[in-house]
Amino acid sequence: MYAPFIAYLFLAPAILGLLIFKVYPLLLSATESLYQVSFFGQQAKYFVGLENYRDVFADPTFWQSLKVTLKFNFLIIPIQVALAVALALLLNKKFKGVRVFRSIYLLPAGVSIAIACTLWSLMLNPNSGLLNSLLALVGIPRQPFLTTSSQALWSIILIASWKGVPYWMIFIMAGLQGIPESNYEAAAIDGANALQVLFKITLPLLKRTLLFVVVVNTVSNFLLFVPPYMLTRGGPESSTNLLMYEVFKSGFIYNDMARATTMITLLVILLLGIVAIEFRWLRAEH
Amino acid sequence: MDKIKSRLAPVLWYAAVLSGLLIVLLPFAWAIASSLRPLSDVFRYTTPFSLRALVPIPFTLEAYANIFQKDFGRALLNTVFVCAATILGGLLLNSLAGFVFSKLRFPGKSIVFTIVLVTFMIPFEVIAIPLYMVARNLGILNTYAALILPGIANGLAIFLFKQFFDEIPSDLIEAARVDGASLFYVYGRIFVPLSKPAMITAGLILFLFQWNAFLWPLISVSSPAHRLVQVAMAYFHTENQVLWNEQFAATVIVALVPIMIILPLQRYFVQGIAGSGTKG
Repeated sequence: MYAPFIAYLFLAPAILGLLIFKVYPLLLSATESLYQVSFFGQQAKYFVGLENYRDVFADPTFWQSLKVTLKFNFLIIPIQVALAVALALLLNKKFKGVRVFRSIYLLPAGVSIAIACTLWSLMLNPNSGLLNSLLALVGIPRQPFLTTSSQALWSIILIASWKGVPYWMIFIMAGLQGIPESNYEAAAIDGANALQVLFKITLPLLKRTLLFVVVVNTVSNFLLFVPPYMLTRGGPESSTNLLMYEVFKSGFIYNDMARATTMITLLVILLLGIVAIEFRWLRAEH
Repeated sequence: MDKIKSRLAPVLWYAAVLSGLLIVLLPFAWAIASSLRPLSDVFRYTTPFSLRALVPIPFTLEAYANIFQKDFGRALLNTVFVCAATILGGLLLNSLAGFVFSKLRFPGKSIVFTIVLVTFMIPFEVIAIPLYMVARNLGILNTYAALILPGIANGLAIFLFKQFFDEIPSDLIEAARVDGASLFYVYGRIFVPLSKPAMITAGLILFLFQWNAFLWPLISVSSPAHRLVQVAMAYFHTENQVLWNEQFAATVIVALVPIMIILPLQRYFVQGIAGSGTKG
């Protein structure tokens, strides 16, 4: 039905909301890093071109944070995607009780990352946490987890994955539903074993879903902020100083908005680069 | 060989799935049990570990009583209010938009729809700081408006409504128009009542988005009077380090509210999440 006036009228509130609170900030984000704040207050900005970038590149904290972020992501992305696929495959089987199990596995996806952080920080407490006491049952000595630089990042990987893997699993499961049974039946007739089915049938047919999950997972992990904020404040010894946390610190603790916006722009550029590589890699194989 | 394999498969399957289940449930179970204990008992059975760690005897609700007397109760009320406002506003705005995209034609439709789709692919962290500046310029920092308004228009919800309305035959509109009904009547009296499943899914998305939000409530609102529940829980965690049972209690409440809502509405929850995948 052709009805432009009514269409614009009905659309106006939602579109206005999206424009003001999503699109406009997005456009701002592209240009904010080219300005510096004057002494006379936040409202007076002056154009500085790429000077903010020069300052950030000269800052060793930025490079250290970049290293931590890259290390974190190169570990967590493959881990989470692999586990999500494994979990989805497992829960796709028709064993007794699988429905109930599936519901339980959904739970971490429904709570916030902040909840995952509080729950696990209590579990990982070196002195009174449940994890250390369970490890003690099998003779493993107490671990410092979040309080030491060698384990803190891994602890965050654990926490983020506890919540993330069930969440990504949902997408993979949806993708699995899209694979017709006939493929598996044909494979069974040909006498294929489970591994062959996995690598020759399931994974190739999941390509689109996998690409989506890998990309969105990458975005979400590169921008991770809550665990360093809530649990480690970037420490110990800056071992968990993820870039997004450094951005937050710049903007809301050091009050250096220019530095914050510059860093987030760099983070986004990095992210786009990595996503582009992922697209190339997962699309190219046919 | 095959017989052994087929006997082994279920055992392996249950072993794998149940160990994962343990990892999922243990933090919740321990938190719930610990929240129902008096402070002195909280770690008594943890080290050395005994199964009594998961069974709260003696049982007490004092942790919960205490947290409500602190700022936490206020944060809960704030969050319920913000969620309710977002859901009401959001269901109205987004379903209207979904209706338009599904049933009406107008110039610029594909451009506007593309904008809508792009918005829900924007990660929040990317626009967090500019949004803060926008809110500051609008003068709404540290108010409920800052918490509610940015959350109402939701690209994913619009998309879900559009998909849902696409399934409803357009003849319904024609028939009603022949009878002299206005488009708003068609939307409100015909499409809305038919859209219960979409309303539930979208409502759930909006609710979870607000209930689980952390970064925006952290930066847009500074006074404890306007604080939301996730941020309050984080503060609680740092300010009440030794009041373990209360920390657990706060965590349990913040975790259980979405869980209690998701469990009966699982289908809608999964649909909402997977829905963001279909467009990808």
